[in-house]
Amino acid sequence: MKDKKTNNREFTSILWNAPDKHLNDKDYIFQSSTFRLVLGFINLYGLILTILFFIVKGNLVGGVNNNFLESGFLSVLNARAILLLLLLMSLNISAYFNYGFKYVCLIMLVYMINSAIDNAVLFSGFTHFTDRPYFAAFNASRPLFIIALFWVMIFHKGNKKSIKIA
Amino acid sequence: MFEDSQLSKFFWFAMSVSYAFCFFALYTFSTIPEYVLELNNTAQNNITMKLSNVRLVIVALALLLYPIILFGFFKYAKYFTVALTSWAVAIYIDDYFVLSEIIKYPESRLISLAQSLRPIMIVSLFCMSIELVFRPLTVD
Repeated sequence: MKDKKTNNREFTSILWNAPDKHLNDKDYIFQSSTFRLVLGFINLYGLILTILFFIVKGNLVGGVNNNFLESGFLSVLNARAILLLLLLMSLNISAYFNYGFKYVCLIMLVYMINSAIDNAVLFSGFTHFTDRPYFAAFNASRPLFIIALFWVMIFHKGNKKSIKIA
Repeated sequence: MFEDSQLSKFFWFAMSVSYAFCFFALYTFSTIPEYVLELNNTAQNNITMKLSNVRLVIVALALLLYPIILFGFFKYAKYFTVALTSWAVAIYIDDYFVLSEIIKYPESRLISLAQSLRPIMIVSLFCMSIELVFRPLTVD
């Protein structure tokens, strides 16, 4: 039912303000196509790495060294896979809402570098390329993942910050 | 110096706590008596000490770099602090949840004390990060 109290002047006012809503759409920041491509690569790499962790855990990938999983590496792989998945989820959520992306990226970067250092120190004797070729290939390509994370962190366009005038 | 940087006194207190803990950890791990290492001469202890040495080198570098970044490149101080906080949390999670079956610290009172004080340092670093990240940009 038409509200008779709403006169033409009010309609005109509503319609006049309507384009302002469209102007607000410009507040959204569109990331470059390269950024989206690299973010896709990070997601794909993280997912494949996690799947591979679970395949190695299930002993589904053939390997030469049978002591590989008996060295305590299995529990480490399990925890790391879960943590990586959680961080990947946080990265995507922050990218979607465009809030705190750089910090989540930085946290993930630090986590990946720390796990690389841990693996190099603790399991350097167990992670030869010939032991598990697929797994070792992913370990060897870890720097690529770290570079991609670093690139995404630098080239992300964040929201405009409020400035307090002193 | 402290007035110009527009940081609260709590930040400086938290930073002092973090520095005190780091120096304490450096002192503890660099002065472990030889008999303690000989008593705990197992593969687990050796690998733990190897990992601790790598971490202590990173801590020493961070202790040297942090004042330079805070006073020279303040714009990047928040990223550096967040990175250090996430690293402190990552190694804490690693020690207690990920590598708990693999590493074993030598039995020493000072090491046990350092281990039990780690959450305090993490909280201080967390406070520093919050202050640096959420403080508004100021323009004269």
